[in-house]
Amino acid sequence: MTVQYGASDDLLLQKPEGAAEQEVFDRTPSVYTPLRTYCLPKGEDRHYQQQYADMYFARLAQLKPAVEQIARDTFDSIEIGGEKCRKVDRVLDVRQGELCWVMGTIYMEMPLKPNVLEDIGKEHWIAAPPPRVKYDSGVGSAVEGARGAHAAGTGGTGTQIMLEDESGRLRLTGSELGTWVLVTGAIVAVVGTENKDGDFEVLDLRVPDLPRQPQRWETEDGEIALRAKKMASQKRSKAGKVAIVSGLGISGDEGDTLTLDLLLEYLLGESASPDDQATAVSISRLIIAGNSLSNSSPIPTRESIIAAAAKRGGRKTYGYDASSYNAAPTDHLDQWLATLLPSMPVTLLPGEQDPTSTALPQQPIHPAMFPHCRAYMTAPHSTDKSEIGWFDSQTNPCDLSLDGWRLLGTGGQPVDDVYKYIPNCENRLEMMEAMLRWRLTAPTAPDTLWCYPFQDGDAFVMKECPHLYFVGNQPKFETTVIEGPVGQQVRLVAVPKFRETGEVVVMDMETLVPELVKFEVFDE
Amino acid sequence: MSQEYSDYLAINVLNEQQLVSYRSLSRALKVHSNLAKQMLYEFHRKQNSKKPGSVHATYLITGTRKQQPQVATQANGVHSQESGEDGDTVMQSSPPLPSSSAPQPEEEEEDQAPISIRTVLLVKEERLEQAKATFERIMGIHVYSLAANGLSDVQSLTECNRKIAVTYASEDPLQAWKQYGTIQNPNVKRRTQRRQPPAPAPDTKSTAAKTKPAPPTTKPAILEKEASKESRDDAQDSKPASKPSSAKATPEPAAAKKPAQPKRQASNIFKSFAKTQPPKAKKQDSQGSASASPAPEAEDDVPMNDFSDEEPDADDAEEADAEETSKEPEGQSKKDRQKALEAMMEQEDEVMEDAAPDQKEEAAEHDAGAIDKIAEKAEEPKEEVNVENGRRRGRRRVIKKKTVKDEDGYLVTREEAAWESFSEDEPAPKKAKMAPAASVNKPSAGGKKGGAKPGQGNIMSFFAKK
Repeated sequence: MTVQYGASDDLLLQKPEGAAEQEVFDRTPSVYTPLRTYCLPKGEDRHYQQQYADMYFARLAQLKPAVEQIARDTFDSIEIGGEKCRKVDRVLDVRQGELCWVMGTIYMEMPLKPNVLEDIGKEHWIAAPPPRVKYDSGVGSAVEGARGAHAAGTGGTGTQIMLEDESGRLRLTGSELGTWVLVTGAIVAVVGTENKDGDFEVLDLRVPDLPRQPQRWETEDGEIALRAKKMASQKRSKAGKVAIVSGLGISGDEGDTLTLDLLLEYLLGESASPDDQATAVSISRLIIAGNSLSNSSPIPTRESIIAAAAKRGGRKTYGYDASSYNAAPTDHLDQWLATLLPSMPVTLLPGEQDPTSTALPQQPIHPAMFPHCRAYMTAPHSTDKSEIGWFDSQTNPCDLSLDGWRLLGTGGQPVDDVYKYIPNCENRLEMMEAMLRWRLTAPTAPDTLWCYPFQDGDAFVMKECPHLYFVGNQPKFETTVIEGPVGQQVRLVAVPKFRETGEVVVMDMETLVPELVKFEVFDE
Repeated sequence: MSQEYSDYLAINVLNEQQLVSYRSLSRALKVHSNLAKQMLYEFHRKQNSKKPGSVHATYLITGTRKQQPQVATQANGVHSQESGEDGDTVMQSSPPLPSSSAPQPEEEEEDQAPISIRTVLLVKEERLEQAKATFERIMGIHVYSLAANGLSDVQSLTECNRKIAVTYASEDPLQAWKQYGTIQNPNVKRRTQRRQPPAPAPDTKSTAAKTKPAPPTTKPAILEKEASKESRDDAQDSKPASKPSSAKATPEPAAAKKPAQPKRQASNIFKSFAKTQPPKAKKQDSQGSASASPAPEAEDDVPMNDFSDEEPDADDAEEADAEETSKEPEGQSKKDRQKALEAMMEQEDEVMEDAAPDQKEEAAEHDAGAIDKIAEKAEEPKEEVNVENGRRRGRRRVIKKKTVKDEDGYLVTREEAAWESFSEDEPAPKKAKMAPAASVNKPSAGGKKGGAKPGQGNIMSFFAKK
């Protein structure tokens, strides 16, 4: 039926006046420099023969000085009952009954952690086990009370927390242990004594905490200085906003992409009212944080294999099944991006389901996937490393410098994996914060997260503290600001999956305050 | 103006029962999207005042919604909520990493700062009031799309944008989109597209290919053009120009396409079209009556009318070929014919590489073009290019052969030197650009001269000498 227009004096609900000159806006520019922290060597220089153990050694060596400094400040002054706390160099040197502090890498033994032997056994199981939401068994958590399975370290759940270094392992225990977020791979310093069972009773714990945070515009200013240009105190125009979206989840099934269209039109400044269009003008860049496609990972998950096998009537096929390939999602994504690119630059991070390498750091999605967008990317054999594509297909995780700020972003896998370690905790921000304070972008790699076997130093160790840390594909939007020991301030943003929530985070690049734009179809 | 849009909408919405969104309207009429929104509104109002319920609209509302419980959770309530009611997480929220100097309290405060949520909501007209009620503050509202009888599935609106992508694929977004009110970006960096290698060539703009079952020719440029034409027909109206608006509206897309072409697609499209000329000339001679057959796109593109007649008659074209070859000896040496033959074979898969860059006027959609071209294009790639290896780019001089028909109906083959640029992208850069076809009507004497140039080192010429 006809709608009551009433007294709506809205601009767009009136007769068109042909003569009216419509305004066309110019988009706010963004100053953008991707830092190639997570780019792997290409071609023959990339090797997979190395042992993962080297990564742990390297990580410990890289982070030990930072932890030591922090721990020394507090632990050395501890005196209990006249006994002075002293530092022990190796975990095996810890003597029973002596108050001491020691540094090492956390290792968590959990009943449901993936286990290769168990995986082989599973091939012969009749029914597949349920997917692991958490690695702890969940059985003992109620018994342990409020602190969950973590609390006793060696609780009824079978979770054991150990500290290891190059010399050996030390099992950690103590009532305090449950209050800290710990996962495999974190580098910590603990203070306490070894009890008569040979376990280490932890009294306190220290982590490396946030690394040095560069000043805003530091990278850019440095480059200007390097190029020996005069340190132009050039006026930097006021930064605009950046839109961060994740989990577009284009599946190729028709009829689920309307919100995607709405997003596109909004960003292009075509939809909505002139006021909204003026707002869209200030969005200077779109960052897509992973999972632009759904189910396009070259290595399907165990669940999808099972599902596919069930569809085919229980037959298992191995290897690549060409008949199941569907080009429509990539095509759609390409088209979508190609429509957006004339108006705004885009940074694309791959995610778990995207068609690129599966091990972290995931390498950029290949330009061949984007025939329409290629014109906006750098030339394939460009030798000029400083050339930045208008459409920048990036690594995951990726390190960016945007409008002077340092951004660290991931497609979400590290947080999702850390999540599995921590019982009874749904707070993603807390995990993100913990990862920053461990100075690790992917602490659980290589234990439970696929990663490249780095040889010379662990690339996941953060050398500098970002100003904005965003993680894609999280269940819901969350944000907070954390502070470091020397005044570092980091904005944390958990970016929700667009496909499920229709939400896009729009970050003001002057104040680093986010806002949310939600695209919905009213259908109730 | 007002006439134009209401006609367009009347045809598409009422007669054709199409979905028309403000975007497709703005593209079709080349107007600013905000103007298109008003047009949709006005049309909707008029029609429904005549006959209630005849046109169904969807609306797009932007604004701030009233705080719903789940929205609050998403925005900022998370932290406090969890620590408030979930006993388990209280401990977790306490400083997890003691090394920091008590960051948690500040964090909590920071969390309280409200995060503004702007909602963009699409709603069908029957639920408009209901949806409006959920808003606390409405920034703007406009008609998103119109459809004739209700909209069963909202998701089908995606079809509008898909059609736009297909239909206006040949527009250069950097130039054409300004008129639609798209936010412009002066900093766009786009590489100039090199000529694409034959195989992946359709990628440039050929979304058409994925939706349209294309005839099995190997000319991407033509394909995309055709497909886009066809779908434009769909989008606008496939009826003969009975309605005044179709005549009015359609020339515009055609015209607008022209400025866009030279930049990006020029090579592909023009090339392919260049070839359509010889057939045309011939057809006018031998079988000018072809226009009787149905020409689906005829009424759509005014400048292309003279070509539409050759679309349906692929068969005729082949007959014509026979005719043509029989004529050939008059003006050409045996060698030339061999070359023509050879070129014919090669063209099967590489036609799109060679063409003349002018003649966009004749750029017609042209189904039978493939066959015509194969037969008639006596074009020979010379292998003796100056620089060929090393994956470098450069220019080389090539001799191109051209067969045209003169006023007397004789076929004339001429050879002309042409410069062609090549680059590392082309693994086998043996194709040469057609020399400009401006000299179409030269007397046959000129052709003779060209015929003397043999294709050395070519196996075909070896056979020819026997």
